[in-house]
Amino acid sequence: MPELDDELMQRFQKGDEDAFNLLVRRHQKPLINFIARFTGDKDNAEDLAQETFIRMFKAANRYKPGRAQFKTWMYFIAKNLCKNEIRNRGRRERYHVDNIVCNDNSIDGNDEDIDLIASAPADAAFQPEIALERKELRNTVQKAIAELPDQYRLPLVLRDIQGLSYDEIGNILELRSGTTKSRINRARLMLKDKLKSYMELI
Amino acid sequence: MNCLQAEEHFSAHYEDTLDYQTLQRFESHIDECQGCEREYSLFREAVQASQQLPQIEPSPSFTATLQQRLTEEELETLSLWQRLQNFFILPKWVYGFAIILVLASSASFLYYDDLFQGSSQSDVEGEFISTQGSDAPTQLPSEIDDRFLPRSFGSVGSAFTTSSRPMQRNYVLKRVSYTTTSTAGGL
Ligand SMILES: [Zn+2]
Repeated sequence: MPELDDELMQRFQKGDEDAFNLLVRRHQKPLINFIARFTGDKDNAEDLAQETFIRMFKAANRYKPGRAQFKTWMYFIAKNLCKNEIRNRGRRERYHVDNIVCNDNSIDGNDEDIDLIASAPADAAFQPEIALERKELRNTVQKAIAELPDQYRLPLVLRDIQGLSYDEIGNILELRSGTTKSRINRARLMLKDKLKSYMELI
Repeated sequence: MNCLQAEEHFSAHYEDTLDYQTLQRFESHIDECQGCEREYSLFREAVQASQQLPQIEPSPSFTATLQQRLTEEELETLSLWQRLQNFFILPKWVYGFAIILVLASSASFLYYDDLFQGSSQSDVEGEFISTQGSDAPTQLPSEIDDRFLPRSFGSVGSAFTTSSRPMQRNYVLKRVSYTTTSTAGGL
């Protein structure tokens, strides 16, 4: 049975740096994905993820196991770093949506990806026009998410892309349970409205 | 349940967290209202679409780069700490000299009255030199204006001048010589 994050963190607090490395390996992928989706900038995501881990590494002795989850703490720090990044970037330029997470190789690279079009046959991935449709849909969804206001995009990404619980999201965003739920519902409604015209076509 | 209320329950219904009563009311509204039925269907598609977005894989060098950055940070913190330590671990004579300077300047305040009212200015300076060393005269204010003296200090000084000047002089000289000996030996 693998150790809990808290146990690894306690080991690290006692000087075992390998425990921290394991935590990094465990959480790097979701963290990078979160940052990429929230900032809408894939290229910068690894850099910000590393910055997040560095902050955690430095502040590790202040971490109280049991009081906050490692994961919640990680997203909390990352969220603040992302907000700074977005603020700074806002002065430089508006979103560069084209640079967003989607990349062309995701068409054939991700075979677990279930097609949205319910009627699509199982071998749809081998049909170039369906593959193109999928890619188009992904791009449209990514663009729509990127266009949501921060306070809606953030909980939506944490819920629907990171798969966090409402409690975890409430802790990260410092929101009450009711507010968290209504914020996520509102974000999804906004996303639906943005995708409406595209989805009605297919 | 009206359309706006139904919309508020989309997520809860999608995630199966509605209580029994609300579930009944929600579903009967959806059954009757074509608009909401359509909107809810689009809602589900939108949520599924975002849930199924492909994940980015971390680059193979991610952990190595992080390790490198952590090492650099550690070194930086370490060198900052060392610089701080170096700042506090000064040669002993620096501490001694600093204390002498502080006491000398306070002594010069106490001597203020003597410098201007005392009978022999050269005498005072001479005594000072003998206890202070050669740097002391430059620290002594040659001309002091009342404006530059701390108020409390000035009043104490003048109170002393009227009654017990010899005592005051002894006191100051004692202090100065005390520090000189102690710094030479102790620090
Ligand atoms: Zn309705």
